[in-house]
Amino acid sequence: MLFPALDRRQALATSACGFSQLALAGMLNRSAAAAAPGNPLIAKTTDVVPRAKRMIFLFMQGGPSHVDSFDYKPLLDKKDGDVLPFDDARVIANTGKRGSEQLVKKPLWKFRQYGESGRWVSDLFPEMAQHADKMCLLHSMHTDGVAHGPATLFLHCGSTNFVRPSMGAWINYGLGSESEDLPGFISICPSPGNGGARNYGSAFLPPVYQGTTMGSAGRPAADATVRDLVNGRYKLPTQSRQFELLRRLNAQQRVRRPGDAELDAVINSYELAWRMQNNAPEVLDLSGETEATLNLYGINQKPTNDYGRQCLMARRLCEAGVRYIQVTYGDGSANPAWDQHSNLPKHADHALRVDRPIAGLLADLEQRGLLEDTLVWWGAEFGRTPYAQNKGTGRDHNPNGFTVWLAGGGVKSGMAFGATDEFGHQAVENKVHMHDLHATILHLMGLDHERLTFRYSGRDFRLTDVHGRVVREIVA
Amino acid sequence: MRKLRILETGLVACVMAALSVCPGRTVIADEVSELSPANRTFFENKIRPVLVKHCYACHSEQAARTKKLRGGLRLDSRAALLKGGDSGPAVDLDKPAESLLIQALKYESLEMPPQGALPASIVADFQKWIELGAPDPRRKSTGPMRVIDFASARHHWAYQPLKAPAIPAAGTAAVASPIDAFVADRLAKAKLKPVPPAQRGVLIRRLYFDVLGLPPTVAQIEAFVSDDAPDAYERLVDELLASPHFGERWGRHWLDVVRYAESITLRGFVFPEAWRYRDYVIQSFNADLPFDQFVREQVSGDLLSDTTHSLPQRRRNLVATTFLTLGNNNLEDQDKGKLRMDVVDEQLETIGRGFLAQTIGCARCHDHKFDPIPTRDYYALAGILRNTKTLNHANVSKWIEMPLPLDPEREAKLKRYESQVAALQKRIKALKQKTPGATSGLSPLPVQQIPGIVIDDRQAELTGTWVKSQFTKSYIGTGYQHDQGQPKGANTAIFRPVLPADGEYEVRFAYTPGGNRSPAVPVTVTTENSSRTVVVNQTQRPAIDGRFVSLGRFTFQRNAENQVRVVNAGTTGVVIIDAVQFLPVELADKPAVSKPAATASKKAKLSRRSLRELERELKTLTASSFARPKCMSIQEEDKIEDTRVHIRGNVHNLGATVPRGFLRVVDVGSKLNIPANQSGRKQLGEWIGSKRNPLTARVLANRLWHWLFGQGLVPTPDNFGTTGQPPSHPELLDYLATRLLQSDWSVKTMLREMLLSDTYRRSSQSSKVNQEVDPDNRLLWKMSRRRLDAESLLDAMLAINGQLRLQVGGSLIRSGTSNDYDYQHTNNRRAVYWPVFRNSLPDIFRVFDFANPSMVTGRRDSSSTAPQALFMLNNPWVIQQAELAATRLLAETGDDDPKRARRIVLQTLGRPATSEELRNILSYVHAADSGSPRQVRWAQVVQSLFASIDFRYID
Repeated sequence: MLFPALDRRQALATSACGFSQLALAGMLNRSAAAAAPGNPLIAKTTDVVPRAKRMIFLFMQGGPSHVDSFDYKPLLDKKDGDVLPFDDARVIANTGKRGSEQLVKKPLWKFRQYGESGRWVSDLFPEMAQHADKMCLLHSMHTDGVAHGPATLFLHCGSTNFVRPSMGAWINYGLGSESEDLPGFISICPSPGNGGARNYGSAFLPPVYQGTTMGSAGRPAADATVRDLVNGRYKLPTQSRQFELLRRLNAQQRVRRPGDAELDAVINSYELAWRMQNNAPEVLDLSGETEATLNLYGINQKPTNDYGRQCLMARRLCEAGVRYIQVTYGDGSANPAWDQHSNLPKHADHALRVDRPIAGLLADLEQRGLLEDTLVWWGAEFGRTPYAQNKGTGRDHNPNGFTVWLAGGGVKSGMAFGATDEFGHQAVENKVHMHDLHATILHLMGLDHERLTFRYSGRDFRLTDVHGRVVREIVA
Repeated sequence: MRKLRILETGLVACVMAALSVCPGRTVIADEVSELSPANRTFFENKIRPVLVKHCYACHSEQAARTKKLRGGLRLDSRAALLKGGDSGPAVDLDKPAESLLIQALKYESLEMPPQGALPASIVADFQKWIELGAPDPRRKSTGPMRVIDFASARHHWAYQPLKAPAIPAAGTAAVASPIDAFVADRLAKAKLKPVPPAQRGVLIRRLYFDVLGLPPTVAQIEAFVSDDAPDAYERLVDELLASPHFGERWGRHWLDVVRYAESITLRGFVFPEAWRYRDYVIQSFNADLPFDQFVREQVSGDLLSDTTHSLPQRRRNLVATTFLTLGNNNLEDQDKGKLRMDVVDEQLETIGRGFLAQTIGCARCHDHKFDPIPTRDYYALAGILRNTKTLNHANVSKWIEMPLPLDPEREAKLKRYESQVAALQKRIKALKQKTPGATSGLSPLPVQQIPGIVIDDRQAELTGTWVKSQFTKSYIGTGYQHDQGQPKGANTAIFRPVLPADGEYEVRFAYTPGGNRSPAVPVTVTTENSSRTVVVNQTQRPAIDGRFVSLGRFTFQRNAENQVRVVNAGTTGVVIIDAVQFLPVELADKPAVSKPAATASKKAKLSRRSLRELERELKTLTASSFARPKCMSIQEEDKIEDTRVHIRGNVHNLGATVPRGFLRVVDVGSKLNIPANQSGRKQLGEWIGSKRNPLTARVLANRLWHWLFGQGLVPTPDNFGTTGQPPSHPELLDYLATRLLQSDWSVKTMLREMLLSDTYRRSSQSSKVNQEVDPDNRLLWKMSRRRLDAESLLDAMLAINGQLRLQVGGSLIRSGTSNDYDYQHTNNRRAVYWPVFRNSLPDIFRVFDFANPSMVTGRRDSSSTAPQALFMLNNPWVIQQAELAATRLLAETGDDDPKRARRIVLQTLGRPATSEELRNILSYVHAADSGSPRQVRWAQVVQSLFASIDFRYID
């Protein structure tokens, strides 16, 4: 069923209370699970034919260097050590000055061609490289924000400064959840830094659409779980009896207050919680996975254990019907993980921790038939400069040209789209702004970025503001 | 020839006067009739062909239709040229040569057409044409151009002047107050009958939560229910309004509106002084500060104080301005010009929606699409706030903290203290200069001034957490780093030299010494052929110049893996890394520039000892934490100026200058002039707080109604524009607003009138007939049932188990909290005092729809979600509160289980238990199969009551 975006928006705008979602449920196709009143997360039909039912965003916090990984620029080898003028984003933002002198630095890892597509990947990511034929590499990314905070907020929310809903919240609002027992948007080990909760927040969208977090960056992934999902105080039989008491109390109190649908929503929220408590821990429990699967992700092996667990969790959440899953590789510091302003060789440490888990995830999704309707997005808030920062041992932030890749649901595979200049500094060909990437991802998920709106403060807001172009060239 | 200009909206009013008598809001510029034959020929021969050939592809209606329009600019009509595109008007009839069109053709600012510059003769034709007044025969209009007619815009209900409406004759219904008369009138017209009044037991619980945000105690319930006096309710209302806890409840409502928070999202910076503003708000509500004064203090308190004000008043004035500083701004934005305007925008959004329920922010990039707010008015207001400094700009900008005024006695004491400190510092400095080799007397040494190859700590390869510092000044370069003294074994630092040649070098290691340092730091020098570890004692002053120790001489191959490695494994104390120097031996053998301390005289030793004593004295003095109290505030900018329109909101694309001013649609009668040397914030406060401002009183009356009744008369409390919803009872709203003015903006008087109305005292039970006609209760035929919000839930659980500490005011942020990440909230104060950390809201806030502390929130969400249920079922804090309540219950009620059950139901639900509830509870605690101890079973009963509908809702 197709319906105008306006109706949905109005329905939500006029319903401050969960109970009036009843009306919404009536308007939309409902799944058996969502037929209960008071569930705004009911799965919804879409404007555009969806190419992916769910997605996983592998967030490489801090900005890995594209010229050392996926964007091969032979000229950097030739010009290594030369001092040349570049339009440095930070220098321009601070002083407006163009053409500052910079020391060209060649990639520290050797590039090779992989797969039938012959895509270039460096030795930084030898395992991901094996899946080059699955990837759609966007080499011409550019974005807003030179510092981590603004650029990270822009990546997640489409704005460097203003408080706006995160992409996962928009998708959750637009699509609802397919899962009866789990939230529609889960962020695994998000970083508290550089925007923190705003990066999975709902801003002015109803809070029910915000991301649910599991764990926190910098803490062991093995401990990551949904808050208050289990009762640490009482054993299940005891709690079951207690829950039965609550059911009775609520049923009696409910009878004494006829004609108030919101109270039904409260009672239903307890029933849903009870189902979650009894079913979700199983979804989150990796102990039933085979040795081979654990191995595939590098779990129980030192450098890959943490991110491997996160990636495997993502696959299990996919299977359980969660719409939007973010898997962060990062930490809580102001200069996070991949942020090698100096000491670029340290990229190898980070690569070692994520390379195998990500390759494992792609292989696993494929072998389970999930990859065709799961969109995987690998990327960061920006890339890095092809020259050394302050002529030192690292690279500075580069929002003007960098690479991300997509794989799976609805994107062409083994493709490279767009290009940076011959140094890998600025996107020049088929440029894709972060707004465009957002528009494209929404499109793949079945949402028209111009129609996915929410009225707030007298205005219809969008993830892409007044921008964004769907990059149809990469849609399969 | 009549010149018609619609260049900027400032001229619009004159245009309207000159042009039209019709009340419509559109003007079509069309003056084809006045074109002379010569001008027509000139246009057709010289201008039109060029436009068609070179411009229309991207700048015409056709281009717009095919989505090829560029820069928002159309050149296919005169009006379109005058209106211009994103960069502003294309032609300037007063200064033809400066027209954007000419500049673009000349390839000066813009470069058009992009294929290549046109011949100079064509450019000259265009300039001549503009000089002629751009005569243009093209009939095609650009479509209606919207021009705001403020007079007709003021017909919108919210902008109409406020006047007291006639109170409707109540008809047959006996009503308690004018409020009830207005409500009865609407109900009668809809042929609806209101439900009966609520029972006393229901009413007292409702009143306590609504006025204080706390549950009544069992004794309070019993006393009220058994008080038969006719004025019992009225007395209770007065008693509660006078309670110091009133401000905690109602101040918190206001804190929602002003996006109150105690930290900032990016980097989790904590606002250590924000709590003063929270306490100011609570005190203001308790003292029933007239709302207009409350407005003026928040917007311009720093400008209000004069010598006639008491000290507490001057302090309040300053603290009130924290209001302007609480935005969740992006302090690390590298484009500081943009950041400055973003801050202004955030303040305008807060002022606009908070006080006036106007969405002013919509006009930042273009005239408001729906409301009569032109971009020009936005920048008139922005100009006022742009003259106010909110941040001190740096790589990471910083908010401003101002010293609070003190009473003379305290001031004198503080002055004495400050001069003692200053004198001591002066003596120390002087002594240092006289004392050769006093370590702490050294100042930072730039890397460039050190011979040989120097690797600073910034260039070292680091693992583990190293913390940058500049505390001890004898460092090399921009600072040094330390391992915080733990965790040991996690940190390494590798210094790799790029050596110019093979050869022998002396390797020197720099650190800043101190008593807390590690006495044995292993430093390993690795060359191609050797690896040697030297243990450095960092508690001692380095022997070479007070900065370096020698690690020995080594022979290096320049292409080998040479390095100096520092590890903190096995060390005690703080490990420091600063720099490593590779000095060719021939340089090392030269005499040192400054004399090593080893040669210091006996005299120098003596003065070093007295230096140490002085430093100790200073430390003791400053440790007494006798610091000057500060608050978050703002400052007037040094340079007061009007601002320019930012085209499409872009700070790098400036248009016309706009004189500072206010929203023109809001007519406050008298004109408020802003002196050229003042920001205008003082006048802004007066304009908002003016009795003639039709918005402020209406917005406040509606907010108070919303907070009390759960739904405003205007359901969109932050938006009174045309995109908001209209009032359900416009006369009642105006009545309330005029009452506010009559009572000199007294919030308590207003609330008292609402609380004493029959409308407030109605039952919340539904009526089938009414429900069908008016399911949302817009006509107020019953009292709406409302959910306990996060704060009331928290306060009530703590109140019921006896743990609540009803202490007023102060900061609850644990000392030493440098950022808000993963903050653990633990205390038994009321929720209003719990730190509002943007990255770490208390769980109960997060789950129960607490206001988003980054945006104006006049109406919170009220969702019913599974995470809320999980919180009530499984959260350890909730379980703990239930256990504490059970402990208290068991201690208070002896062995009588039925009595215990009745008591806990009365305590939690504020009403007697039903027989079914008693049966259920007693059978649960007596269940034969229950293996849990009695106390656990009672705790589970309490937790179930906490989770039940009747606890979570106010009838």
